[in-house]
Amino acid sequence: MQPETLEIFRPWEPGLLSMVIYVCLVTGLLTVMLAMAWWLGEKRHARDKDMAYECGLKPSGKASFRFPASFYLVAVFFLIFDIEGAFIFQWAIGAKPLGVSGWVQISFFVFVLLMSLFYVWAKGGLTWGERHPRSNVESRE
Amino acid sequence: MGRKASPKQRGISGVALGSIDTVINWARSFSLWPLFFGLSCCFVEEATAFTSRYDFARFGAEVFRGSPRQADVLIVSGTIFKKIAPVVLRLYAQMPEPKWVISMGSCCNTGGMYDVYSVVQGLDQILPVDVYVPGCPPRPEALLEGLVRLQEKVRRERPARRVLHLAGGHQGGRRDHLRLGRDKDRDPRGPGYESVPVRGSSVEPPWFRGNRSEHMWTPPAHRVELNPVDRSLASQLQGRFGSQLKVQEQTSDHLTVSTSAVQVPEVLKYLKEDSEPRHQRLEDLTAIDESARRDPAERNGFTMVYQVLSFDSATRVRIKAPLEAERPEVPSLTELWPSAAWYEREAYDLFGIGFEGHPDLKRILLPHDWEGHPLRKDYPGRATQLPAYTRGDAQRHQPEDGASLVKGGGEDEYVLNVGPHHYSTHGLLRVVLALRDETIRDIALDIGFHHRGVEKLGERQSWHQFIPYTDRVDYLAGAANNLSYLCALEALAGVEVPERAQFIRVMLAELYRISNHLVFYGTFVQDLGAMSPIFYQFREREMIMDIAETITGGRLHPSWFRIGGVAMDLPEGWREKVDAFTSVFESRLDEYEKLVRNNPIFLRRARGVGTLNARQAMEWGVSGPNLRACGVEWDLRKKMPYSGYDKFWFEVPTAPDGDCFSRYLVRVEEMRQSLGIIKQAAEEMPGGRYISEDYRYHLPAKADTLQDIESLIHHFVNATRGPAMPKGEAFHATESPRGEQGYYLVSDGGTSAYRMRIRSPGFANMQVLPSLCLGLPLADLVTILGSWDFILPDIDR
Repeated sequence: MQPETLEIFRPWEPGLLSMVIYVCLVTGLLTVMLAMAWWLGEKRHARDKDMAYECGLKPSGKASFRFPASFYLVAVFFLIFDIEGAFIFQWAIGAKPLGVSGWVQISFFVFVLLMSLFYVWAKGGLTWGERHPRSNVESRE
Repeated sequence: MGRKASPKQRGISGVALGSIDTVINWARSFSLWPLFFGLSCCFVEEATAFTSRYDFARFGAEVFRGSPRQADVLIVSGTIFKKIAPVVLRLYAQMPEPKWVISMGSCCNTGGMYDVYSVVQGLDQILPVDVYVPGCPPRPEALLEGLVRLQEKVRRERPARRVLHLAGGHQGGRRDHLRLGRDKDRDPRGPGYESVPVRGSSVEPPWFRGNRSEHMWTPPAHRVELNPVDRSLASQLQGRFGSQLKVQEQTSDHLTVSTSAVQVPEVLKYLKEDSEPRHQRLEDLTAIDESARRDPAERNGFTMVYQVLSFDSATRVRIKAPLEAERPEVPSLTELWPSAAWYEREAYDLFGIGFEGHPDLKRILLPHDWEGHPLRKDYPGRATQLPAYTRGDAQRHQPEDGASLVKGGGEDEYVLNVGPHHYSTHGLLRVVLALRDETIRDIALDIGFHHRGVEKLGERQSWHQFIPYTDRVDYLAGAANNLSYLCALEALAGVEVPERAQFIRVMLAELYRISNHLVFYGTFVQDLGAMSPIFYQFREREMIMDIAETITGGRLHPSWFRIGGVAMDLPEGWREKVDAFTSVFESRLDEYEKLVRNNPIFLRRARGVGTLNARQAMEWGVSGPNLRACGVEWDLRKKMPYSGYDKFWFEVPTAPDGDCFSRYLVRVEEMRQSLGIIKQAAEEMPGGRYISEDYRYHLPAKADTLQDIESLIHHFVNATRGPAMPKGEAFHATESPRGEQGYYLVSDGGTSAYRMRIRSPGFANMQVLPSLCLGLPLADLVTILGSWDFILPDIDR
């Protein structure tokens, strides 16, 4: 194998071909794994087996219904702020060549981020779930 | 097994398939993943098997899965109750292929010692079983052996053809369950008796002719003089109610009065609110079916029995009220004591007694579609006298739908079952939640999945034979259970226990208290996410189990106390073992405390969560450490000393806040106090007899039976048909690790109890729990359940 032929696989050289090869490899591997699991595994179906597991009982009601999901909100915020983080890391790598103008731009970016974080905070987006009064027996009466 | 090995394979394909078989079997046998599912006592030994001393993991079966979807071995450890059987069936069905089943313990194998109406007589009549592990409970090593046997079985399979979709081959455990009458015998006398008719059939009378215990003479029941408080209370009651109330002259324990059923709420209201002293707690509420009394004049209807307790004077009062046999009904006490709700439902469930004005009178322990009332005398006690429980029954009788148990259905609310199969329910408890987001809007407890009918068994087993059943009422408290039962029995018969026996009893009871609290500690912090402490704590627990084994020969269930003393004298070498434990335990406890006590996550989750105040705790009948965590200094060992506890120095730890953290603090401090008691007992262990000298009621010391004929005769009589107890009744409660465990024994002068009532701490403690959880997030439910330290046989009996 000649080293030149490997050039296209060099991770530091962006290129379409290496991307396509990578996607093909991943897809192929996943397909083989899932197909083996699907084909090799023994399958039996029964009413109880196809039922959702709920501590050994029949579930009450449907599994698909509307319910408030505080975790969803938190997850969305995490995703948003996490991706912004990725931009800042990239700036950090190129901080020197980007110079003062780069610094000003990223500072503005961070400022906008902070403002939106405060906004979310003020709106109660970071409060977990609904308000939980630490109740006791008294409060029930 | 009945499955033939696949036909001899020849040629290259045969060799290839054989090699694939070997590889698959090797991989499977060393990566069996058991389902985390415990039914009763056996599960404690199963859990012990995967702690460090026994190390289940070295066989590759280390991953106990919480969901059946990820497990391939179902270890059914414990008693299969008819109420839980549908759940077991469904869990098995929900496991992926291939799968195997280990049946662990005598109950699971055959019903074991529980041939009683609520128990399925063997797992194999509803599910296919691959390996049986015998024992009651089997030791952890026995389970390891069971796993090795299963591995051997897996290695004999021929999975390659099945995996490659070829014809032939076999994999997974057996698929067929046993059919009664075809491949399983139902006769409790064992196989081979088919031609001998059973008693009570058309050819044999139901009684045993020539039963000499019928004619055994006994002295009258022990009689106690009433103390001044009781005497003054008796005159107050008579002054207030006059001829409507009668004070019973003879009593073996405390003041007993009888009145009419309609008068009961008035009398109890007076005792609660106006009498001096006041009685804050409804100790117990139960009934007796009088229809099978020996004396025909006494065979009439039912008797309601209420007991109340005064915290101020440390006295109890018993109120009895007769009921007619047809349509028995009494006014409900739920207005007076909220805790009466469950007790009345229990009496309705087991006796069919109606309670006028009860807000929710329905079955509590037995399945909702059960027929009959098992504690009535005409109800057959044995499972083998009832129609056989089959797989069809398990499919038909499903637990109630969760949505019907809670007030759900509000906007965005949904119903969720936590348990009966769940990590944090610590056994077969079902919590039904109506949730919005993850806030608990409504909560209901469905109990009775662990109802072993032990009160009915008490009416069948002789007084001695019943001792092993008491061990299993609270399977983490071991010998402490024996003590509660025997104290009541000794109160009834007036048996004196020698001092040495008392010390031995106290020492063992306290060892089991520590053992129980260690399990509490480990599981509680594990529920909050701390994985390691439990593995260390089981190390110390094993030291206690070793001591118990040295002294009694048993681990979980020593069944070692006897009427009038204990089974044997202490063996050689007991002192060294006890000293080895007491010398290291304190520093080990400090170590655990360092790990947990100041952990900010632990504090945030435990402090201020699930708060109960002292007044409520007394009203609801909460007892034990849960009560002391509300700042109430109440411990029966101090307040109503028994078994020589007044000779020991110890303190009663309390904590003020009534939250989960307080409950933790109290139990940790109790371990230190128990350690002190054990040290004192070991140091000051008196000499003398280990069993009382009067052999009327108990099994004589073996040495004596070899010396004189009197002892030998008593040994023979008391070991076979058993001693007859004097006619009467007695209640005695002890401070068991989990709270106040009381036995109310009613004797009709026979060799077994006429009525065996167990006032368990769990039943009362559990009832208040839902109200602590309302409005809290789901995660706090787990904290509260963990801090509550309940155990299912203690709730459901």
